[in-house]
Amino acid sequence: MNKVILKNVRPFINGKFDAPTTMNLADGKWVQESLTDAPTFDAGGALALPALFGLGLDFKEPLRDDIYSFKDGVEAMRRGGFYGGLYESSDNAIDDSRKLSAIKQISSFAGFSFAFLGAFSVGYKCKELTEMIELAEEGAVGFGDGNQDASRTRFLRLAMEYGSMTGKRFFFMPLDESLRHHGLVHEGHYSDTLGMKGIPRVAETIAAFRILEMARFLKVPVHFKQVSCGETLKLIEMAREQGVDVTCDVDVYHLLLDDSCLFDLDSHSNVVMPFRSATDKDALWQGLKSGTVNAISVNHDPVLRQDKEVNFEDAVPGAVSLEIALPALWKPLTEKLGESRAIELLSSAPAKIAGVGGVCLGLDSKVDLVLFDDKAKTEVTSSLFAGQVRNSPLLGQTLSGKILGSYLGGLWTEV
Amino acid sequence: MSALEIKHLFGLRGVSKHDIRLILDHAKQFREVLERPVKKVPSLRGMTVVNLFFENSTRTRTSFELAEKRLSADTVNFTSSNSSVKKGETLVDTLRNIEAMKIDIVVVRHKGTGVPKFLADNSKAIIVNAGDGAHEHPTQALLDMLTIEEKLGTLEGKNVTIVGDIRHSRVARSNLWGMTTMGAHVTLCGPSTLVPRNTELMSNVTWESDVKKAVKNADAIIALRLQKERMDDALLPSMREYRNTFGITHELLECAKDKVLIMHPGPINRGVELDSEIADGDNSVILNQVTNGVAVRMAVLYLLAGGRGNE
Repeated sequence: MNKVILKNVRPFINGKFDAPTTMNLADGKWVQESLTDAPTFDAGGALALPALFGLGLDFKEPLRDDIYSFKDGVEAMRRGGFYGGLYESSDNAIDDSRKLSAIKQISSFAGFSFAFLGAFSVGYKCKELTEMIELAEEGAVGFGDGNQDASRTRFLRLAMEYGSMTGKRFFFMPLDESLRHHGLVHEGHYSDTLGMKGIPRVAETIAAFRILEMARFLKVPVHFKQVSCGETLKLIEMAREQGVDVTCDVDVYHLLLDDSCLFDLDSHSNVVMPFRSATDKDALWQGLKSGTVNAISVNHDPVLRQDKEVNFEDAVPGAVSLEIALPALWKPLTEKLGESRAIELLSSAPAKIAGVGGVCLGLDSKVDLVLFDDKAKTEVTSSLFAGQVRNSPLLGQTLSGKILGSYLGGLWTEV
Repeated sequence: MSALEIKHLFGLRGVSKHDIRLILDHAKQFREVLERPVKKVPSLRGMTVVNLFFENSTRTRTSFELAEKRLSADTVNFTSSNSSVKKGETLVDTLRNIEAMKIDIVVVRHKGTGVPKFLADNSKAIIVNAGDGAHEHPTQALLDMLTIEEKLGTLEGKNVTIVGDIRHSRVARSNLWGMTTMGAHVTLCGPSTLVPRNTELMSNVTWESDVKKAVKNADAIIALRLQKERMDDALLPSMREYRNTFGITHELLECAKDKVLIMHPGPINRGVELDSEIADGDNSVILNQVTNGVAVRMAVLYLLAGGRGNE
């Protein structure tokens, strides 16, 4: 439905939540006039937040639409209150403008703001450059490697040097595959205890340093996805002091979990980047507080049930998060950083990295919002997730706060 | 019969002294059974044990199978090379199909850490870990403990030194947990590329990079098998340098106590981690370990079954 009356709701306006009021929403706008033919939803004093923006979406379509599709992804966004996201598929490199055009067509759901990363090499193989100028003209907001880290340093230089003509940002998940060497989990106490191959922090910092040096040399803006340790944040701070244009994000789950969860050997905790130590988790929070970290990412990566219902090491890595990111993070985020910064980190800041406009709530304006009851609870069950996946490390847990609904692209969805 | 606190045997981390004591005491009784002319008891008659081995194994599987047969259980061997796993069946489906055939106990070996626990989470059968990745090999550690107790009377206060590829060794991990629980002091020694870097793990053991110092006060030395693949992976330069630096040789034992026990989980790379004259010498208890392996596995199966068989 494109009209709804939200009663007893506290909208976030000018940096704070207003007193309970009524919001008349019609055709994507918050309107003054009363709506006679619209259903009414009593929010019971719940919060209306500007809708969120997701960095790191991979909806698998078209190559693996047997796993997930844009239809599923958009449903997940409605349930989680996301008005847009930055898309990059690790399976399906957007390596020419026709592919980008096609995927834009697939994703053209009214009212949602998708941005796309083009691949800087054909098939992420780091052997041939893509036509980055044409990709940029078609709308690619930046370039990435699909988290493959296949590039030799010379190819990386050439890709960034050529891509610099577009003025676009290069996106990397800093992880040296050679040092990773089949590792699945953080190298530390828990990997040693369990006898599992670990990924040392230096696999991240060495990759990050290489990219930062290249960015400094070529004066190309870069973004680091899913930073997972404090040492990388220090490198970013040092690079910024030297004038490097570098932004970074941290993943939802990395703010909530550390490698102590490995003792459960739950295959849902098999993710890349790996969950690192409690000290690293603290450093990420500190990075959010200090401003070193620009935004929080979702890294929504659907994995089929049968690919997770195996032992840890044989599971396909990845986690979905769109549906639960807000209730999972809201309490710790607001307690540590305050409501305004929490919303910024989940909404306007990630949108800015993707070059997409932010959203805010105001009378007589276009609105995209998520209705959130911070006093209710969310049971993380399979039915919460869109599509046929449910691969969240928080499955079975209870979260503080509950999404009641979303109004996105002029459509009200009650969750 | 006193009961085990554990329902399955995944590993020795977290297993109580009570349970380990119970297993070792029962193993001693079964050890006596193995000396009889008729080496069979009816303890698990009517029960079915499946040996589910996804990794190659000769001695562990044989040892388990003998233990099962000597307890009068019906046994079935299931290996990945002759199974539907090769046709793409998932681990859970494999287990559920086997379970549908009304089995009682699954003995499992797999390359993946935590597979025994995963199977227990998805099955009603009793699960016994026969080795999961580099995580644990609890029955090997139990037989090592039984052997030391048999020869030295107790583990309490004894110094046990484990030499070799600690990082990739499930035997070392299980021994570390089990022996420290039973009051032994464990010293670990190996090349820096083959030891875990995070010493937090080893808060109650001693690290020693100098093998001569590591063996000096040892009551027992466990030499670990060196996998040849470690050379391919550039973790070591050569077998030769390994043998010269960390091999258990006659010269090295001159630095150790006269009656130090020499142990090895097998199979031995003679002339690499252990010289032949030492493996076959007076201090070697390697064949005792093999015999004790059957007794320990009988005890584990018997106690986990909790008297469910028709005795």
